[in-house]
Amino acid sequence: MTLDRRTFMGTAAAATIAAPSVFAGAHGKPRVVVVGGGAGGATAARYVAKDSKGAIDVTLIEPTRSYYTCFFSNLYLGGFKDVEDIGHSYGKIAAAGVNVVHDWAVGVDRDNKTVSLAGGSSVPYDKLILSPGIDFVDGAVDGWDLSSQNAMPHSYKAGSQTELLKAQLASMPTGGVFAMVAPPNPYRCPPGPYERVSMIAHHFKMNNPTAKIIVADPKPKFSKMGLFQEGWANHYDGMIDWIGKDFGGGEVSVDPGAMTVTIDGETTKVDVCNVIPAMKAGGIAHQAGVTDGNWAPVNAADMSSKVDPDIHVLGDSSQQGDMPKSGFSANSQAKVCANAVRGALTGSKVFPAKFSNTCWSLVATNDGIKVGATYEATEEKIAKIEGFVSKTGESAELRKATYEESEGWYSGITADMFG
Amino acid sequence: MMLKSLKILLISILLGVSSGVYAGDEITDDFAVDEELLKIKGDPEYGEYLSGDCTACHQIDGSYNGIPSIVGWDEESFIWVMQEYKEKYREHPVMQMMAGRLANDEIAALAAYFANIE
Repeated sequence: MTLDRRTFMGTAAAATIAAPSVFAGAHGKPRVVVVGGGAGGATAARYVAKDSKGAIDVTLIEPTRSYYTCFFSNLYLGGFKDVEDIGHSYGKIAAAGVNVVHDWAVGVDRDNKTVSLAGGSSVPYDKLILSPGIDFVDGAVDGWDLSSQNAMPHSYKAGSQTELLKAQLASMPTGGVFAMVAPPNPYRCPPGPYERVSMIAHHFKMNNPTAKIIVADPKPKFSKMGLFQEGWANHYDGMIDWIGKDFGGGEVSVDPGAMTVTIDGETTKVDVCNVIPAMKAGGIAHQAGVTDGNWAPVNAADMSSKVDPDIHVLGDSSQQGDMPKSGFSANSQAKVCANAVRGALTGSKVFPAKFSNTCWSLVATNDGIKVGATYEATEEKIAKIEGFVSKTGESAELRKATYEESEGWYSGITADMFG
Repeated sequence: MMLKSLKILLISILLGVSSGVYAGDEITDDFAVDEELLKIKGDPEYGEYLSGDCTACHQIDGSYNGIPSIVGWDEESFIWVMQEYKEKYREHPVMQMMAGRLANDEIAALAAYFANIE
Protein backbone atom coordinates (compact mmCIF):
# COMPACT_ATOMS: atom_id res chain seq x y z
CA MET A 1 0.00 0.00 0.00
CA THR A 2 1.25 3.45 -0.83
CA LEU A 3 0.04 6.56 0.90
CA ASP A 4 1.10 9.81 -0.67
CA ARG A 5 2.25 11.89 2.26
CA ARG A 6 1.38 15.14 0.53
CA THR A 7 -2.20 13.98 0.19
CA PHE A 8 -2.59 13.91 3.94
CA MET A 9 -0.26 16.63 5.08
CA GLY A 10 -1.34 19.27 2.61
CA THR A 11 0.86 21.36 0.36
CA ALA A 12 1.61 25.01 -0.26
CA ALA A 13 -1.36 25.00 -2.57
CA ALA A 14 -3.59 24.66 0.46
CA ALA A 15 -3.06 28.38 1.06
CA THR A 16 -5.30 29.04 -1.92
CA ILE A 17 -8.37 27.33 -0.44
CA ALA A 18 -11.36 29.53 -1.11
CA ALA A 19 -12.86 29.54 2.38
CA PRO A 20 -10.30 28.25 4.86
CA SER A 21 -12.00 30.06 7.72
CA VAL A 22 -14.84 27.56 7.61
CA PHE A 23 -12.52 24.72 8.35
CA ALA A 24 -9.39 26.00 10.01
CA GLY A 25 -7.45 22.78 10.41
CA ALA A 26 -3.79 22.94 11.40
CA HIS A 27 -3.01 20.39 8.74
CA GLY A 28 -3.84 22.30 5.58
CA LYS A 29 -6.57 21.00 3.35
CA PRO A 30 -9.58 19.37 4.95
CA ARG A 31 -9.58 15.60 4.60
CA VAL A 32 -12.43 13.33 3.66
CA VAL A 33 -11.97 9.59 4.00
CA VAL A 34 -14.47 7.27 2.35
CA VAL A 35 -14.63 3.60 3.33
CA GLY A 36 -16.16 1.34 0.69
CA GLY A 37 -16.01 1.79 -3.07
CA GLY A 38 -19.51 0.76 -4.17
CA ALA A 39 -22.50 2.78 -5.29
CA GLY A 40 -22.40 4.98 -2.18
CA GLY A 41 -18.69 5.31 -1.49
CA ALA A 42 -17.33 5.58 -5.03
CA THR A 43 -19.96 8.19 -5.87
CA ALA A 44 -19.30 10.17 -2.70
CA ALA A 45 -15.51 10.15 -3.21
CA ARG A 46 -15.84 11.18 -6.83
CA TYR A 47 -18.34 13.96 -6.16
CA VAL A 48 -16.46 15.47 -3.21
CA ALA A 49 -13.25 15.50 -5.27
CA LYS A 50 -14.92 16.75 -8.46
CA ASP A 51 -17.00 19.49 -6.85
CA SER A 52 -14.35 20.74 -4.42
CA LYS A 53 -11.89 21.18 -7.29
CA GLY A 54 -8.88 20.25 -5.20
CA ALA A 55 -9.89 22.10 -2.03
CA ILE A 56 -10.49 18.82 -0.17
CA ASP A 57 -8.16 15.82 0.02
CA VAL A 58 -10.23 12.71 -0.65
CA THR A 59 -9.09 9.18 0.19
CA LEU A 60 -11.13 6.14 -0.84
CA ILE A 61 -10.40 2.91 1.03
CA GLU A 62 -11.59 -0.17 -0.83
CA PRO A 63 -9.99 -3.61 -0.56
CA THR A 64 -10.79 -4.87 -4.05
CA ARG A 65 -9.02 -3.61 -7.15
CA SER A 66 -11.89 -4.71 -9.38
CA TYR A 67 -15.37 -4.00 -8.11
CA TYR A 68 -18.18 -6.25 -9.29
CA THR A 69 -21.59 -4.64 -9.03
CA CYS A 70 -24.24 -6.61 -7.20
CA PHE A 71 -26.79 -5.01 -9.50
CA PHE A 72 -26.83 -6.82 -12.86
CA SER A 73 -24.99 -9.80 -11.31
CA ASN A 74 -28.26 -11.75 -11.70
CA LEU A 75 -28.11 -11.05 -15.44
CA TYR A 76 -24.71 -12.73 -15.44
CA LEU A 77 -26.31 -15.78 -13.75
CA GLY A 78 -28.98 -15.76 -16.46
CA GLY A 79 -26.44 -15.67 -19.25
CA PHE A 80 -27.28 -12.12 -20.36
CA LYS A 81 -23.93 -10.66 -19.22
CA ASP A 82 -20.34 -11.80 -18.93
CA VAL A 83 -18.58 -11.35 -15.62
CA GLU A 84 -16.36 -8.71 -17.23
CA ASP A 85 -19.48 -6.65 -17.96
CA ILE A 86 -20.11 -6.08 -14.25
CA GLY A 87 -16.47 -5.46 -13.21
CA HIS A 88 -15.04 -1.96 -12.79
CA SER A 89 -11.66 -0.54 -11.80
CA TYR A 90 -10.88 2.58 -9.80
CA GLY A 91 -8.44 4.02 -12.34
CA LYS A 92 -10.63 6.91 -13.42
CA ILE A 93 -11.46 7.84 -9.84
CA ALA A 94 -7.74 7.94 -9.06
CA ALA A 95 -7.08 9.99 -12.18
CA ALA A 96 -9.74 12.45 -11.00
CA GLY A 97 -7.67 13.17 -7.89
CA VAL A 98 -9.01 10.69 -5.34
CA ASN A 99 -6.32 8.88 -3.36
CA VAL A 100 -7.45 5.28 -3.84
CA VAL A 101 -6.09 2.93 -1.17
CA HIS A 102 -6.64 -0.79 -1.65
CA ASP A 103 -6.75 -2.05 1.90
CA TRP A 104 -9.26 -3.08 4.56
CA ALA A 105 -10.42 -0.44 7.02
CA VAL A 106 -10.34 -2.33 10.31
CA GLY A 107 -10.89 0.35 12.93
CA VAL A 108 -12.14 3.87 13.54
CA ASP A 109 -10.76 6.02 16.36
CA ARG A 110 -13.46 8.65 16.70
CA ASP A 111 -11.61 10.64 19.34
CA ASN A 112 -8.47 11.06 17.26
CA LYS A 113 -10.42 10.92 13.98
CA THR A 114 -8.37 8.24 12.29
CA VAL A 115 -9.14 5.10 10.33
CA SER A 116 -6.77 2.16 10.84
CA LEU A 117 -6.01 -0.18 7.97
CA ALA A 118 -5.26 -3.90 7.94
CA GLY A 119 -1.88 -3.07 6.39
CA GLY A 120 -0.92 -1.21 9.56
CA SER A 121 -1.37 2.41 8.45
CA SER A 122 -3.62 4.99 9.98
CA VAL A 123 -5.47 7.58 7.89
CA PRO A 124 -6.65 10.84 9.49
CA TYR A 125 -9.97 12.41 8.58
CA ASP A 126 -12.01 15.50 9.21
CA LYS A 127 -15.13 13.89 7.79
CA LEU A 128 -15.51 10.14 7.46
CA ILE A 129 -17.99 8.58 5.03
CA LEU A 130 -18.78 4.92 5.67
CA SER A 131 -20.36 2.99 2.84
CA PRO A 132 -19.34 -0.60 3.55
CA GLY A 133 -22.43 -2.37 2.21
CA ILE A 134 -23.71 -5.41 4.04
CA ASP A 135 -22.50 -8.26 6.19
CA PHE A 136 -24.51 -11.29 7.27
CA VAL A 137 -26.12 -11.85 10.66
CA ASP A 138 -24.46 -14.77 12.42
CA GLY A 139 -26.72 -17.78 12.90
CA ALA A 140 -29.45 -16.33 10.69
CA VAL A 141 -29.97 -19.60 8.81
CA ASP A 142 -29.71 -22.72 10.96
CA GLY A 143 -26.79 -24.83 9.69
CA TRP A 144 -25.13 -22.12 7.61
CA ASP A 145 -22.18 -19.86 8.36
CA LEU A 146 -19.49 -18.22 6.27
CA SER A 147 -17.42 -21.41 6.30
CA SER A 148 -20.28 -22.98 4.29
CA GLN A 149 -20.26 -20.36 1.56
CA ASN A 150 -18.46 -22.57 -0.94
CA ALA A 151 -20.95 -25.41 -0.56
CA MET A 152 -23.91 -23.09 -0.36
CA PRO A 153 -22.94 -19.67 -1.75
CA HIS A 154 -24.73 -16.46 -0.78
CA SER A 155 -23.63 -14.68 -3.96
CA TYR A 156 -24.94 -11.47 -2.42
CA LYS A 157 -21.60 -9.71 -2.60
CA ALA A 158 -20.80 -9.89 -6.27
CA GLY A 159 -17.59 -11.37 -7.65
CA SER A 160 -16.16 -14.79 -6.88
CA GLN A 161 -19.33 -15.83 -5.04
CA THR A 162 -21.41 -15.05 -8.12
CA GLU A 163 -19.01 -16.95 -10.37
CA LEU A 164 -19.16 -19.90 -7.99
CA LEU A 165 -22.97 -20.05 -8.08
CA LYS A 166 -22.92 -19.77 -11.87
CA ALA A 167 -20.47 -22.69 -12.11
CA GLN A 168 -22.59 -24.79 -9.76
CA LEU A 169 -25.71 -24.10 -11.82
CA ALA A 170 -23.87 -25.04 -15.02
CA SER A 171 -22.83 -28.40 -13.60
CA MET A 172 -26.21 -29.33 -12.14
CA PRO A 173 -27.52 -32.72 -13.26
CA THR A 174 -30.40 -32.90 -15.70
CA GLY A 175 -33.65 -32.41 -13.82
CA GLY A 176 -31.77 -31.35 -10.66
CA VAL A 177 -33.05 -29.17 -7.83
CA PHE A 178 -31.94 -25.63 -7.01
CA ALA A 179 -33.00 -24.13 -3.68
CA MET A 180 -32.83 -20.55 -2.49
CA VAL A 181 -33.15 -19.45 1.11
CA ALA A 182 -34.44 -15.87 0.79
CA PRO A 183 -33.63 -13.21 3.41
CA PRO A 184 -35.94 -11.42 5.86
CA ASN A 185 -36.48 -7.65 5.63
CA PRO A 186 -34.63 -5.35 5.50
CA TYR A 187 -31.97 -6.44 3.06
CA ARG A 188 -29.95 -5.28 0.07
CA CYS A 189 -31.91 -5.00 -3.19
CA PRO A 190 -35.49 -6.03 -2.33
CA PRO A 191 -36.28 -7.46 -5.81
CA GLY A 192 -32.82 -9.08 -6.05
CA PRO A 193 -33.64 -12.63 -4.87
CA TYR A 194 -36.66 -12.79 -7.18
CA GLU A 195 -34.81 -11.44 -10.19
CA ARG A 196 -32.22 -14.10 -9.38
CA VAL A 197 -34.90 -16.81 -9.34
CA SER A 198 -36.07 -15.50 -12.73
CA MET A 199 -32.59 -15.51 -14.20
CA ILE A 200 -31.79 -19.00 -12.90
CA ALA A 201 -35.12 -20.19 -14.31
CA HIS A 202 -34.12 -18.68 -17.63
CA HIS A 203 -30.81 -20.49 -17.49
CA PHE A 204 -32.61 -23.78 -16.77
CA LYS A 205 -35.15 -23.19 -19.54
CA MET A 206 -32.28 -22.82 -21.99
CA ASN A 207 -30.00 -25.55 -20.61
CA ASN A 208 -31.79 -27.85 -18.19
CA PRO A 209 -35.54 -27.49 -18.74
CA THR A 210 -36.63 -30.23 -16.33
CA ALA A 211 -34.74 -28.68 -13.39
CA LYS A 212 -36.77 -27.37 -10.44
CA ILE A 213 -36.48 -24.30 -8.22
CA ILE A 214 -37.56 -24.17 -4.58
CA VAL A 215 -37.60 -20.84 -2.73
CA ALA A 216 -37.94 -20.83 1.06
CA ASP A 217 -38.95 -17.32 2.08
CA PRO A 218 -39.44 -15.97 5.63
CA LYS A 219 -41.62 -13.17 4.18
CA PRO A 220 -45.32 -13.44 3.31
CA LYS A 221 -44.83 -11.18 0.28
CA PHE A 222 -41.97 -9.53 -1.61
CA SER A 223 -41.03 -6.65 -3.90
CA LYS A 224 -42.83 -6.63 -7.28
CA MET A 225 -44.44 -9.92 -6.23
CA GLY A 226 -47.38 -9.79 -8.65
CA LEU A 227 -45.09 -8.90 -11.53
CA PHE A 228 -42.59 -11.66 -10.81
CA GLN A 229 -45.29 -14.27 -10.29
CA GLU A 230 -46.97 -13.24 -13.53
CA GLY A 231 -43.62 -13.59 -15.30
CA TRP A 232 -42.87 -16.95 -13.70
CA ALA A 233 -46.24 -18.28 -14.88
CA ASN A 234 -45.71 -16.86 -18.38
CA HIS A 235 -42.13 -17.97 -18.90
CA TYR A 236 -41.35 -20.77 -16.46
CA ASP A 237 -44.66 -22.47 -15.78
CA GLY A 238 -44.34 -25.23 -13.18
CA MET A 239 -40.62 -24.76 -12.58
CA ILE A 240 -40.68 -22.50 -9.50
CA ASP A 241 -42.10 -23.43 -6.10
CA TRP A 242 -42.13 -20.34 -3.88
CA ILE A 243 -42.82 -21.20 -0.23
CA GLY A 244 -43.66 -18.06 1.70
CA LYS A 245 -43.95 -17.47 5.42
CA ASP A 246 -47.57 -18.59 5.52
CA PHE A 247 -46.51 -22.02 4.25
CA GLY A 248 -43.50 -22.51 6.53
CA GLY A 249 -40.91 -20.77 4.34
CA GLY A 250 -39.37 -19.16 7.40
CA GLU A 251 -38.79 -22.48 9.17
CA VAL A 252 -35.57 -23.40 7.39
CA SER A 253 -32.37 -25.22 8.17
CA VAL A 254 -29.63 -26.39 5.83
CA ASP A 255 -26.96 -29.05 5.92
CA PRO A 256 -24.15 -27.96 3.60
CA GLY A 257 -22.33 -31.29 4.04
CA ALA A 258 -25.31 -33.43 3.05
CA MET A 259 -26.65 -30.78 0.62
CA THR A 260 -30.10 -30.87 2.14
CA VAL A 261 -32.61 -28.15 2.93
CA THR A 262 -35.30 -28.65 5.54
CA ILE A 263 -38.38 -26.46 5.15
CA ASP A 264 -41.09 -26.65 7.81
CA GLY A 265 -39.89 -30.12 8.83
CA GLU A 266 -39.59 -31.57 5.34
CA THR A 267 -36.05 -32.37 4.18
CA THR A 268 -35.13 -32.21 0.51
CA LYS A 269 -31.87 -33.22 -1.17
CA VAL A 270 -30.77 -30.41 -3.46
CA ASP A 271 -28.04 -30.03 -6.08
CA VAL A 272 -27.35 -26.32 -5.64
CA CYS A 273 -28.36 -24.11 -2.72
CA ASN A 274 -28.15 -20.33 -2.56
CA VAL A 275 -28.41 -19.15 1.05
CA ILE A 276 -29.06 -15.42 1.39
CA PRO A 277 -28.95 -14.82 5.15
CA ALA A 278 -30.34 -11.90 7.16
CA MET A 279 -28.15 -8.83 6.78
CA LYS A 280 -26.59 -6.09 8.85
CA ALA A 281 -24.39 -3.06 8.22
CA GLY A 282 -20.84 -3.72 7.02
CA GLY A 283 -18.43 -4.56 9.85
CA ILE A 284 -16.61 -1.22 9.98
CA ALA A 285 -19.87 0.58 10.84
CA HIS A 286 -20.23 -1.62 13.93
CA GLN A 287 -16.55 -1.22 14.76
CA ALA A 288 -16.93 2.57 14.56
CA GLY A 289 -19.73 2.38 17.11
CA VAL A 290 -22.30 4.15 14.94
CA THR A 291 -24.79 1.28 14.73
CA ASP A 292 -27.91 0.62 16.77
CA GLY A 293 -28.69 -3.04 16.35
CA ASN A 294 -28.01 -4.18 12.81
CA TRP A 295 -27.89 -0.79 11.06
CA ALA A 296 -26.46 2.72 11.44
CA PRO A 297 -29.09 5.41 12.10
CA VAL A 298 -28.53 8.63 10.14
CA ASN A 299 -29.98 12.11 9.85
CA ALA A 300 -31.94 12.39 6.62
CA ALA A 301 -30.74 15.90 5.71
CA ASP A 302 -27.10 14.94 5.18
CA MET A 303 -26.73 11.21 5.98
CA SER A 304 -24.68 12.07 9.07
CA SER A 305 -24.61 9.50 11.84
CA LYS A 306 -26.94 10.10 14.76
CA VAL A 307 -24.01 9.12 16.98
CA ASP A 308 -21.17 11.20 15.50
CA PRO A 309 -21.69 14.31 13.32
CA ASP A 310 -18.31 13.85 11.63
CA ILE A 311 -19.25 10.41 10.33
CA HIS A 312 -21.72 9.88 7.50
CA VAL A 313 -23.15 6.48 6.61
CA LEU A 314 -24.45 5.72 3.13
CA GLY A 315 -26.36 3.03 1.34
CA ASP A 316 -27.13 -0.44 2.63
CA SER A 317 -25.51 0.12 6.03
CA SER A 318 -27.59 3.15 6.90
CA GLN A 319 -30.91 3.16 8.68
CA GLN A 320 -32.49 6.14 7.02
CA GLY A 321 -36.22 5.55 6.67
CA ASP A 322 -38.19 4.70 3.56
CA MET A 323 -35.57 4.17 0.85
CA PRO A 324 -34.86 0.60 -0.21
CA LYS A 325 -31.31 -0.66 0.15
CA SER A 326 -30.28 -0.38 -3.49
CA GLY A 327 -27.35 0.84 -5.55
CA PHE A 328 -29.52 3.64 -6.92
CA SER A 329 -30.44 4.73 -3.39
CA ALA A 330 -26.80 4.69 -2.26
CA ASN A 331 -25.78 6.74 -5.29
CA SER A 332 -28.55 9.25 -4.56
CA GLN A 333 -27.64 9.49 -0.87
CA ALA A 334 -23.96 9.92 -1.77
CA LYS A 335 -24.65 13.10 -3.72
CA VAL A 336 -26.65 14.65 -0.89
CA CYS A 337 -23.87 13.68 1.53
CA ALA A 338 -21.09 14.97 -0.75
CA ASN A 339 -22.82 18.34 -1.06
CA ALA A 340 -23.22 18.61 2.73
CA VAL A 341 -19.67 17.48 3.51
CA ARG A 342 -18.17 19.89 1.01
CA GLY A 343 -20.28 22.70 2.45
CA ALA A 344 -19.16 21.91 6.00
CA LEU A 345 -15.49 21.82 5.04
CA THR A 346 -15.21 24.66 2.51
CA GLY A 347 -18.24 26.86 3.09
CA SER A 348 -19.71 26.03 -0.32
CA LYS A 349 -23.47 26.33 -0.72
CA VAL A 350 -25.46 23.42 0.68
CA PHE A 351 -28.68 22.66 -1.14
CA PRO A 352 -31.68 20.84 0.32
CA ALA A 353 -31.61 17.04 0.24
CA LYS A 354 -33.49 15.29 -2.57
CA PHE A 355 -33.43 11.56 -3.02
CA SER A 356 -34.71 9.14 -5.62
CA ASN A 357 -34.60 5.47 -6.45
CA THR A 358 -35.51 3.20 -9.35
CA CYS A 359 -34.93 -0.55 -9.48
CA TRP A 360 -35.19 -2.43 -12.75
CA SER A 361 -35.46 -6.23 -12.80
CA LEU A 362 -35.27 -8.68 -15.67
CA VAL A 363 -37.81 -11.52 -15.62
CA ALA A 364 -36.96 -13.13 -18.96
CA THR A 365 -35.52 -12.12 -22.33
CA ASN A 366 -36.75 -8.59 -23.08
CA ASP A 367 -39.17 -8.71 -20.14
CA GLY A 368 -38.07 -5.86 -17.89
CA ILE A 369 -40.02 -4.38 -14.96
CA LYS A 370 -39.29 -1.48 -12.65
CA VAL A 371 -40.27 0.25 -9.43
CA GLY A 372 -39.27 3.70 -8.25
CA ALA A 373 -39.96 6.56 -5.89
CA THR A 374 -38.85 10.03 -4.84
CA TYR A 375 -37.99 10.93 -1.26
CA GLU A 376 -37.41 13.95 0.94
CA ALA A 377 -35.62 14.58 4.21
CA THR A 378 -37.77 15.09 7.28
CA GLU A 379 -36.65 15.53 10.88
CA GLU A 380 -37.47 11.91 11.52
CA LYS A 381 -36.31 10.08 8.38
CA ILE A 382 -36.00 9.94 4.61
CA ALA A 383 -39.67 9.92 3.70
CA LYS A 384 -41.28 8.70 0.51
CA ILE A 385 -43.08 11.31 -1.60
CA GLU A 386 -44.35 9.52 -4.67
CA GLY A 387 -43.72 6.23 -6.45
CA PHE A 388 -44.65 3.99 -9.35
CA VAL A 389 -44.36 0.34 -10.29
CA SER A 390 -44.72 -1.51 -13.59
CA LYS A 391 -48.14 -3.02 -14.14
CA THR A 392 -49.08 -6.63 -14.80
CA GLY A 393 -50.25 -7.24 -18.34
CA GLU A 394 -48.02 -4.62 -19.94
CA SER A 395 -47.23 -4.99 -23.65
CA ALA A 396 -44.17 -6.89 -24.80
CA GLU A 397 -42.99 -3.69 -26.48
CA LEU A 398 -43.06 -1.74 -23.21
CA ARG A 399 -41.33 -4.57 -21.32
CA LYS A 400 -38.58 -4.64 -23.94
CA ALA A 401 -38.22 -0.86 -23.68
CA THR A 402 -37.97 -1.18 -19.90
CA TYR A 403 -35.18 -3.73 -20.25
CA GLU A 404 -33.33 -1.51 -22.73
CA GLU A 405 -33.76 1.36 -20.28
CA SER A 406 -32.15 -0.74 -17.57
CA GLU A 407 -29.14 -1.24 -19.80
CA GLY A 408 -28.91 2.53 -20.17
CA TRP A 409 -29.22 2.96 -16.43
CA TYR A 410 -26.39 0.50 -15.80
CA SER A 411 -24.12 2.43 -18.12
CA GLY A 412 -25.23 5.68 -16.50
CA ILE A 413 -24.83 4.75 -12.85
CA THR A 414 -21.50 3.00 -13.32
CA ALA A 415 -20.18 6.05 -15.18
CA ASP A 416 -21.49 8.17 -12.30
CA MET A 417 -19.76 5.93 -9.74
CA PHE A 418 -16.46 5.19 -11.41
CA GLY A 419 -16.05 8.10 -13.86
CA MET B 1 -40.62 31.37 -28.95
CA MET B 2 -39.95 28.61 -31.40
CA LEU B 3 -42.92 27.26 -33.35
CA LYS B 4 -44.58 24.45 -31.42
CA SER B 5 -44.35 21.88 -34.21
CA LEU B 6 -40.68 22.64 -34.73
CA LYS B 7 -40.10 22.36 -30.98
CA ILE B 8 -41.77 18.95 -30.85
CA LEU B 9 -39.70 17.75 -33.80
CA LEU B 10 -36.50 18.99 -32.18
CA ILE B 11 -37.32 17.32 -28.87
CA SER B 12 -38.18 14.06 -30.65
CA ILE B 13 -34.78 14.12 -32.27
CA LEU B 14 -33.06 14.97 -28.98
CA LEU B 15 -34.81 12.13 -27.18
CA GLY B 16 -34.23 9.74 -30.05
CA VAL B 17 -37.94 8.88 -30.17
CA SER B 18 -37.88 8.89 -33.97
CA SER B 19 -35.21 6.21 -33.99
CA GLY B 20 -36.88 4.16 -31.28
CA VAL B 21 -34.12 4.72 -28.73
CA TYR B 22 -36.58 5.78 -26.07
CA ALA B 23 -39.56 3.61 -26.89
CA GLY B 24 -42.49 3.80 -24.53
CA ASP B 25 -42.15 7.54 -24.28
CA GLU B 26 -45.25 8.75 -26.13
CA ILE B 27 -46.37 12.37 -26.27
CA THR B 28 -49.61 14.08 -26.99
CA ASP B 29 -49.21 17.05 -29.33
CA ASP B 30 -51.77 19.36 -27.79
CA PHE B 31 -49.55 20.54 -24.96
CA ALA B 32 -48.10 24.02 -25.06
CA VAL B 33 -45.76 25.21 -22.35
CA ASP B 34 -46.47 28.59 -20.81
CA GLU B 35 -44.03 31.02 -22.41
CA GLU B 36 -43.25 32.51 -19.01
CA LEU B 37 -41.82 29.18 -17.88
CA LEU B 38 -39.55 29.05 -20.89
CA LYS B 39 -38.10 32.44 -19.99
CA ILE B 40 -37.04 31.56 -16.45
CA LYS B 41 -33.28 31.90 -16.09
CA GLY B 42 -32.06 29.07 -13.93
CA ASP B 43 -29.13 29.00 -11.49
CA PRO B 44 -26.58 26.62 -13.03
CA GLU B 45 -24.90 25.97 -9.65
CA TYR B 46 -28.20 24.73 -8.24
CA GLY B 47 -28.71 22.86 -11.49
CA GLU B 48 -25.38 21.10 -11.05
CA TYR B 49 -26.47 19.89 -7.62
CA LEU B 50 -29.90 18.82 -8.85
CA SER B 51 -28.30 17.05 -11.81
CA GLY B 52 -27.26 14.29 -9.42
CA ASP B 53 -30.80 12.96 -9.78
CA CYS B 54 -30.31 12.83 -13.57
CA THR B 55 -26.80 11.43 -13.82
CA ALA B 56 -27.73 8.17 -12.10
CA CYS B 57 -29.15 7.33 -15.55
CA HIS B 58 -28.21 9.99 -18.10
CA GLN B 59 -24.49 10.02 -18.82
CA ILE B 60 -22.78 13.35 -18.38
CA ASP B 61 -20.43 12.73 -21.31
CA GLY B 62 -23.41 12.47 -23.64
CA SER B 63 -23.11 8.74 -24.36
CA TYR B 64 -26.34 6.82 -24.41
CA ASN B 65 -27.79 3.35 -24.79
CA GLY B 66 -31.41 2.88 -23.85
CA ILE B 67 -31.57 6.22 -22.03
CA PRO B 68 -31.14 9.39 -24.09
CA SER B 69 -28.46 12.03 -23.69
CA ILE B 70 -29.63 15.25 -22.08
CA VAL B 71 -26.45 17.31 -22.37
CA GLY B 72 -26.13 20.29 -24.67
CA TRP B 73 -29.86 20.86 -25.15
CA ASP B 74 -30.98 24.43 -25.58
CA GLU B 75 -32.66 25.63 -22.39
CA GLU B 76 -36.12 26.07 -23.93
CA SER B 77 -36.23 22.50 -25.22
CA PHE B 78 -35.13 21.18 -21.85
CA ILE B 79 -37.78 23.16 -19.98
CA TRP B 80 -40.41 22.24 -22.56
CA VAL B 81 -39.91 18.51 -22.28
CA MET B 82 -39.59 18.55 -18.50
CA GLN B 83 -42.87 20.48 -18.26
CA GLU B 84 -44.46 17.85 -20.51
CA TYR B 85 -43.37 15.18 -18.05
CA LYS B 86 -44.35 17.26 -15.04
CA GLU B 87 -47.84 17.84 -16.41
CA LYS B 88 -48.03 14.18 -17.48
CA TYR B 89 -48.49 14.90 -21.18
CA ARG B 90 -45.46 12.74 -21.92
CA GLU B 91 -45.71 9.13 -20.85
CA HIS B 92 -42.82 7.81 -18.86
CA PRO B 93 -43.26 6.88 -15.19
CA VAL B 94 -39.69 7.59 -14.09
CA MET B 95 -39.54 10.95 -15.82
CA GLN B 96 -43.04 11.95 -14.71
CA MET B 97 -41.94 11.20 -11.15
CA MET B 98 -38.62 13.03 -11.41
CA ALA B 99 -40.08 16.10 -13.15
CA GLY B 100 -43.18 16.06 -10.97
CA ARG B 101 -41.25 16.92 -7.83
CA LEU B 102 -39.26 19.78 -9.38
CA ALA B 103 -40.34 23.40 -8.99
CA ASN B 104 -40.28 25.53 -12.13
CA ASP B 105 -37.09 27.30 -11.04
CA GLU B 106 -35.47 23.91 -10.44
CA ILE B 107 -36.31 22.76 -13.96
CA ALA B 108 -34.82 26.01 -15.25
CA ALA B 109 -31.72 25.45 -13.11
CA LEU B 110 -31.22 22.02 -14.65
CA ALA B 111 -31.77 23.47 -18.12
CA ALA B 112 -29.13 26.12 -17.46
CA TYR B 113 -26.65 23.53 -16.21
CA PHE B 114 -27.09 20.89 -18.90
CA ALA B 115 -27.16 23.48 -21.72
CA ASN B 116 -23.52 24.25 -20.99
CA ILE B 117 -22.27 20.68 -20.79
CA GLU B 118 -20.62 19.60 -24.01
